[in-house]
Amino acid sequence: MKKMKKFIAAAIAAGTMMMLLFGCGKREEQQNETKGYVWVSEYADFNVEECDWIDEVVTLGDECYFSTSRYDEEKEQSVTSLYKYNLLENKAEKLNFDLEENSSIYGMAVNADGNLAMLINQYEYVEDEEGNVTDVNSKMQLCIVSPSDGALIDSKEITEVLDVPQETYFQYFSIDGQGNLYLADGDSKIYILNKDIQKVCEISIEGWINNMVTSKEGDVYIAIYGNEGMELKKVDVAAKKIGEPVQGLSEGYGNFTFRTGVEKSLLVSSNDGVLTFDIQSQTKEDLFKWLDVDINSDDVNQVGELSDGRIWAIIREYDRDYNSSYQLAFLSKKDASEVTARQEIVFGAMWIDSDVKRNIIKFNKTNSQYRIIVKEYGEDDYEAGLIQFGADLTTGNCPDIISLSQLDFAQYANKGILEDLYPYMEQSGIKKEDYVENILEAYDMDGKLYGIMPSFYLSSTAVKKSLVGDKSGWTLDEMLDLVEEVKPQYVMSYDSKESMLYYCIYQNIDEFIDWESGTCHFDGDQFIRALEFASQFPSQEEVNYNEREGISSLLHDNKLLLMQTSISSVQEYQMMKGMFGEDITYIGSPSSDRKGNVIQPAGGSLAMSSKSKYKDGVWEFMKIMLEAEYQDSLVNEHGGFGFPIRKESLEKQFEFDMKADYYEDENGNQVERPKTTWGYDDFTIEIMAASQEEIDEIKALITSAEKVSENADQQVTNIITEETEPFFKGQKSAAEVAGVIQNRVQIYVNENK
Amino acid sequence: MHFPKSRKKEKNLQFVKENKKRSGSNRRTRKGKLISIGYLFPSAAGVLLFFVLPFLIVIYYSVVDNPISNQFVFLDNYVMVFQNAAFQQAARNTLMFSLVAVPLAVVLSLFLAMMLESRIPFKSQFRTFFLSPMMVPIASIVLIWQVLFHYNGMVNEVLGVFHIDKIDWLNSNYAQVVIVILFLWKNLGYNMILFMAALSSIPKDILEVAVLESATPFQIFWHIKLRYMSSTILFVTIMSLINSFKVFREIYLLKGEYPYDTMYMLQHFMNNTFSRLDYQKMSAAAIMMAIVMVIIIGILFLTENYFGKDVEG
Repeated sequence: MKKMKKFIAAAIAAGTMMMLLFGCGKREEQQNETKGYVWVSEYADFNVEECDWIDEVVTLGDECYFSTSRYDEEKEQSVTSLYKYNLLENKAEKLNFDLEENSSIYGMAVNADGNLAMLINQYEYVEDEEGNVTDVNSKMQLCIVSPSDGALIDSKEITEVLDVPQETYFQYFSIDGQGNLYLADGDSKIYILNKDIQKVCEISIEGWINNMVTSKEGDVYIAIYGNEGMELKKVDVAAKKIGEPVQGLSEGYGNFTFRTGVEKSLLVSSNDGVLTFDIQSQTKEDLFKWLDVDINSDDVNQVGELSDGRIWAIIREYDRDYNSSYQLAFLSKKDASEVTARQEIVFGAMWIDSDVKRNIIKFNKTNSQYRIIVKEYGEDDYEAGLIQFGADLTTGNCPDIISLSQLDFAQYANKGILEDLYPYMEQSGIKKEDYVENILEAYDMDGKLYGIMPSFYLSSTAVKKSLVGDKSGWTLDEMLDLVEEVKPQYVMSYDSKESMLYYCIYQNIDEFIDWESGTCHFDGDQFIRALEFASQFPSQEEVNYNEREGISSLLHDNKLLLMQTSISSVQEYQMMKGMFGEDITYIGSPSSDRKGNVIQPAGGSLAMSSKSKYKDGVWEFMKIMLEAEYQDSLVNEHGGFGFPIRKESLEKQFEFDMKADYYEDENGNQVERPKTTWGYDDFTIEIMAASQEEIDEIKALITSAEKVSENADQQVTNIITEETEPFFKGQKSAAEVAGVIQNRVQIYVNENK
Repeated sequence: MHFPKSRKKEKNLQFVKENKKRSGSNRRTRKGKLISIGYLFPSAAGVLLFFVLPFLIVIYYSVVDNPISNQFVFLDNYVMVFQNAAFQQAARNTLMFSLVAVPLAVVLSLFLAMMLESRIPFKSQFRTFFLSPMMVPIASIVLIWQVLFHYNGMVNEVLGVFHIDKIDWLNSNYAQVVIVILFLWKNLGYNMILFMAALSSIPKDILEVAVLESATPFQIFWHIKLRYMSSTILFVTIMSLINSFKVFREIYLLKGEYPYDTMYMLQHFMNNTFSRLDYQKMSAAAIMMAIVMVIIIGILFLTENYFGKDVEG
């Protein structure tokens, strides 16, 4: 009996423990899957040729109407066309509607008669005798167009009725159920005309109008950013005022777009996903997240609802050379059992980088075995998200793929959370020597690779070569000595007490903290010198950068000494050289080891969880970002942002940068023309082909960088910021403040030893 | 042994009856036990789930290298924590603070209770005055303390009137003095009420006899009152000791996770290691602290047993 009791007690204890432990490891299921269905996307060609840009889209049943713009190279002008698009049959029809010359469509809506009402601005340039434009006369026209063939039914000039200045630009145009017209300008004013085109009233809004929409019930609502996020308010034409915010739609400041709903009042699309909203009951229903249906929210151009319950979306995808193409996507509900189940790989990140997002969508579209789902921790509250991310990493909830962007990779590598990637590279035949070694090794610790960075750039500080020579780095003392010697009017373009102190120490923290021995040196002469140096600058509240001359003139006149900058492309390097007007040295931030040029990931950096159940799937995804196809896609004819890590791709990028563009002059000679124009503050420069010397300089800079940029230790930064305040306000001496910082940071260092 | 048949039958019958009775009472006992287990289960499960299990998990974490690889390292974490300079500093500070603050909290509140027991004017006003800190939310208390002891605070302003240089109360060796004052201010009232209750429960006849026997007030206090209050003194000491560990809350609100070193307490160490996900250090430190607490409280119990046994009978 006693044995039995013991057994029962042990079983209860073990059961409870197991429940706790396994409870932690349960993965979130997708919301729609729990309801027994999933949303799936199908793509269709967007059958509109010769379209550079879609301007305005309105829906009428299962058809949508929109105007497109296209640049006619022969006529050297933009051509606007009006299209009817049957979404059920995926058929486009160009309507016979010609926009007059010097006209543009400001808005389009469907009126009470089911015709298209178009707000058209006509302008005329007034020229003087020499042909210079001195003024613009413009008038506002309301055109009623038949939706079946585009025939003009009626046209009325409404400039005088509106009684607005000529230059007024109308951003939003809606028509309510009674036929009243609502025109919202860029100055947060709404003009309301009745169906007989007589002015009813003007309503002024506090804040900017971000959107205007007619609900299914026929009321017009505006979206504005209020104190607690995006607010939807009814335009009350009877009371001639704006109503109270509609509750229950949103709590954040996301980028929302609206369309008249089919079942519910509104269809709402955000960066996150799509939902329907019923205004009467103030309830919303989340339909899907864009990532779950393999669509990049950055590419979504227009969204609407069909009568059969499907959602349509016009997608515009850009490649890295900014070429774009339109596609049509249809999202429909499917029984979960009809969709092939795939293993779910969780991607954990504070925020997802756009390049990584693009790759995840591509992976999910093509991989039949695995599917990546994204868990963004920093969506709402950064601090809480970071804590949750850290907690998940160290418990059973660890994501399979970890974005290292906001994390101290060494801390997690030491805990055994990250998987060594070298064996996977070897197995896949990916050779270490094919990659820029020092960049690849940025996440190398004790011969193990804990992360990959598919593309990178460098963070640095530029200074005239004539002042520092060919140095590749400097210590804090050397920097302070130079400032004392040169005595420039400004040390940096953006300098305040706080930012200068931060600059002096954030890449140089090893100067003051020896983690190995667990000792701090904040009470030494060097930190006191840095404090006294920083105190010479105005405080963040006092400084007014607008009063200063342009950066380029300051540099040319030797009034500005240092420029904090990045080296993210050859063109940026050329621009910086041009701005200084002479040879420059990328000396980096002050650091005790004179290695102040630091490596930064340009498109996120990834690690694999050592506890992942799907390591092969994770590597399958990570591998894509190292392979030639992706690495070559990072090569950008126009410079781009960041360098590919693969040596061959990097060489291709340099080849592009060195290749000159030519045009033929009137004498038939080949003349080099600028590749592009760069601008920075008061400076603009035409970028020509880079010289071999410039490329060599950049290569040398890349190979000299060793350290990956780390986020400054938040605790140390907090203590320093808190304690230096009385010194900057003149209440305490530098030595006193340094003593307190030394004392407090020492505790932190001891604790972490 | 041989019995006559009828005797044997009778005896057998009796035996069966007895057996029946016994098995009936056994059933009742078993049923009673089951019922009591049923009643006990919710609270037992609660204790198991919320106290025993977390404690076991803490012990487990303290003997593995980390919660991911779970390699058994035996006492390595304890050795590492014991040798950690921050832990040593925290242990020293906590010990020093408790050694100073707890006796002061006991002695001063006892003194106040005695004072309020004697015939003095404005007794109830004084009682309310000493109890009022208990009603003030901790955030407000910290705000008041910041106003008082900030570098540009009221205390330094007053000192300035007497031409005394400003003292950086919260960033110097004076910091612990500030915390001791804050602790006493917050806790004296509660302790005082406990002592007043204990004083009022001392049998009046014994006190009267002592007065008739010409005992001096000191003798009455030392030989009677103190004896009768020994269990209350023990309770107040334990409560003050526990509260002295809780002073972290006030220090945290005053100076954050990393205060000046004299204010850095054991709970800072544990809190910080927890937020850094260093569960091993935290668990080892927590176990060591628990052991020390058990020893101290054990000693206090033994002392109370020794001094208070004659009055408790």
